[in-house]
Amino acid sequence: MAKSENVKSCEPASVDPQYILMVKNLKKYFPIKGGMMGRVVGQVKAVDGVTFNVRRGTTMGLVGESGCGKTTTGRTILRLSGEKTDGQVLFNGKEVYDASPAEMRKLRTRMQIIFQDPFSSLSPRLPVGEIIGEAVKEHKLVSREEYEAYLDKVMDDCGLQPFHKDRYPHEFSGGQRQRICIARALALNPEFVVCDEPVSALDVSIQAQIINLLKKLQEERKLTYLFISHDLSVVEHISDTVGVMYLGSLVEYGEKKDIFRNPLHPYTKALFSAIPIPDPHARMNRIVLEGTIPSPANPPAGCKFHTRCAHCMQRCKTETPKQVEVEKGHFVVCHLYDGK
Amino acid sequence: MAFENEKKTPSRQDGLSGDGSVQKTGSMAGNEGASANGAAAENGKPEYSLNDDRRVKTLSPSALVIKRFIRNRVAVTGLVILILMFAFSYIGGLISPYRQDQVFYRTELQNQDFAGVTENTDFRYVVKEGASFGSVEQAQFVLATIQKKDAFEFRGTSYRLDKLSDVLYGIYSGGELIAFASCDVVSSSVQGVKLPFELQYLILSSLAEGGGSFTYEGGDYTVDEDGGVLLGKEEVAYASRYIVQPIMSDVHLTRQFKEELIESIQNGEDSFSFTEADGSVSVYTVVFNAAMKNWNVRQETETRVFDTYSAPSKEHWLGTDKNGMDMLTRLMYGGRVSLYIGFIVVIIETTLGVLLGGVSGYFGGWVDMLIMRIVDIFYCIPSMPIIIILGAAMDMMRVDPQVRMIYLMLILGFLGWPGISRLVRGQILTLREQEFMMATEACGISVPKRIFRHLLPNVMPQLIVTMTMSLGSVILTEATLSFLGLGVKFPFASWGNIINDVNNTFVLTNYWFIWIPAGLCLLSTVLAFNLVGDGLRDAFDPKMKR
Repeated sequence: MAKSENVKSCEPASVDPQYILMVKNLKKYFPIKGGMMGRVVGQVKAVDGVTFNVRRGTTMGLVGESGCGKTTTGRTILRLSGEKTDGQVLFNGKEVYDASPAEMRKLRTRMQIIFQDPFSSLSPRLPVGEIIGEAVKEHKLVSREEYEAYLDKVMDDCGLQPFHKDRYPHEFSGGQRQRICIARALALNPEFVVCDEPVSALDVSIQAQIINLLKKLQEERKLTYLFISHDLSVVEHISDTVGVMYLGSLVEYGEKKDIFRNPLHPYTKALFSAIPIPDPHARMNRIVLEGTIPSPANPPAGCKFHTRCAHCMQRCKTETPKQVEVEKGHFVVCHLYDGK
Repeated sequence: MAFENEKKTPSRQDGLSGDGSVQKTGSMAGNEGASANGAAAENGKPEYSLNDDRRVKTLSPSALVIKRFIRNRVAVTGLVILILMFAFSYIGGLISPYRQDQVFYRTELQNQDFAGVTENTDFRYVVKEGASFGSVEQAQFVLATIQKKDAFEFRGTSYRLDKLSDVLYGIYSGGELIAFASCDVVSSSVQGVKLPFELQYLILSSLAEGGGSFTYEGGDYTVDEDGGVLLGKEEVAYASRYIVQPIMSDVHLTRQFKEELIESIQNGEDSFSFTEADGSVSVYTVVFNAAMKNWNVRQETETRVFDTYSAPSKEHWLGTDKNGMDMLTRLMYGGRVSLYIGFIVVIIETTLGVLLGGVSGYFGGWVDMLIMRIVDIFYCIPSMPIIIILGAAMDMMRVDPQVRMIYLMLILGFLGWPGISRLVRGQILTLREQEFMMATEACGISVPKRIFRHLLPNVMPQLIVTMTMSLGSVILTEATLSFLGLGVKFPFASWGNIINDVNNTFVLTNYWFIWIPAGLCLLSTVLAFNLVGDGLRDAFDPKMKR
């Protein structure tokens, strides 16, 4: 039962205090407007029923190919992309979308985001000190006398020097900019940080620095991360639990070692077979998926993956699979494992 | 496959942590290097360090823009022209010894009609008050004098004539003097005073006898042979056959002047000089007008006239305009008005444009829809005809020139904002989707701060460029309107209404100094604004250049 405590059932009966974040059947559709009067003619189902929980002080990795809705999931959790379409986002047991504007402002200090592109996520006309400290001032987290020292501390924690404060973002390299982004998020002293592909725009050596920085900060500050990435090795390095997304839905979800040791879903298997092996003599058994990812505006019926699945059965085309707990805390959404 | 994964895992982790340690030692090495450098500096050795903390100079984005702008020679030329124009208009106006509406005069010698002289050869009739002696009676009288009768009868009334001389007849009716006919005219020395009928007759009868003296109403009058009448010692009247009348009603001609004038006319002279009582000598020319049988006396006088269209001189470096005002000073004040209007209009335009465009772009939805339709409508308004109609309406309502200038600025401003609002909206639409805007939302920054600290500073580059460019075009529009007489009105100068003076080919071809300087000012200012605008655009966005 030890494991089932770590990863609970997807629909917990009650709010469990060990989970800082509980996402239940979250849906976010973007309307497609067309025609004469801007009528809604369709919907892009960017996030289509995602359920997972994140334990306090751990890192949940979210992987999937481009356009599968990872980023939208992250932003929808933080209430950054307008209203959700359906589902629940419980942060410390409270629905994020029920918060009043004033409550939301307070909540913002407790959940933060680090963006993918360190070049567009920093306002080009503000000095770095302002960028990092603006929200601190806005929320009056520290007194005016302590402000400078606080700022220096945060910057120091993130590997930035105090004299960087007066510089502008364009004077920094990508890695340093990402440190600035991290410092901006951490200056508010959050509990939960969505890391939206924070290293994918950086080169590999810098990636390692940033990942290690994130890990260090997690230990120091007891942070919880939702780590979104398409880079499996990075996710493997940093995560405690991993979710695999395909076309707006979570196809597999569980403890990192379960997922990496024993990937179950055909999509996860194909994904993991693409991880390069640092050995020129090793042979790779790559599973090459055919076709391209279908449009999220018009996802296939039944299992969303059936158009590209090597194990596609007749009922995959008609029947939507349910989440099955194959091992303790290891969930998969696939007809291969629902025991029929 | 699962097995492979497990095998790979440790090695990759090693790799990552290895990177991390390299980074740590790297930074440590950097710190050591810095301290070593510090030690070197203490030892007095030159230090060569590229360490971050040694780089003192930090350039903000605006400093970078200024740096790039200064490198652009054409734009700097434009800026210098602008600075000169501002100095010319604002400081020049202070230095100039003249006011913008100060009128200058010059004196000109002019032959002015001074007086008219008529020799009275016909009888003039003076009728006693209450009596009547109409034109028919006068004709009967003339008939009687020709027939040398001493009486005549008309309509039952008999008139007796008393001939005192060839030129003076007394006319009696019923034994009473009712009128007299004379070629000489008695005029009072005191202006505007009419002498009594009896006194006039007594003076003329004395004159007919070649002078003499008489008593009238207790006064002793003496009449000399030249027609002067003295009451005691004082001259009160004057009788003469010549009637001398000044052209100007406020001029009083003295008896002496009249006598000398008549003498020179009788001598047939065609010019005449008179020494005034104060000793000054005036020269008059006398011209006989045969048709009217009178003499025109003309005086050569110095007249003050407006110093119009005078050529450039020491006093007026660029001459004077058609109102006799100093051209250079007008140009300076005109520049003030033109630049002032340009700035105010652009400020109005920008305020409206940023406000509406910003709201439209930031909030989107139906607000955006509504504002953009308003913008579309404003784009459809033909602004020139509207401005011309409003200008004409203001002409009709005789709006004060100062108030009119304010109206002009408001009209131009209200017609000019849609372009800026579209630009701002477009910019904000793109910026709104940038990740740093989402970051501000994620940080819980308030909406006004998001707009004013994050959005607007990023719109500023395009805004500044557009503002600079539209300054030029607003000045041009104002000049056009002023040229058409619908913009800035006299007495205020503007470059446009200075050029407006050139409304015929004579001025165009003969008085170059009226329109060439104003045209050059206008040209160089608008050109400079455009050059600076181009330079700013290149400086803000180096990628835009070619």
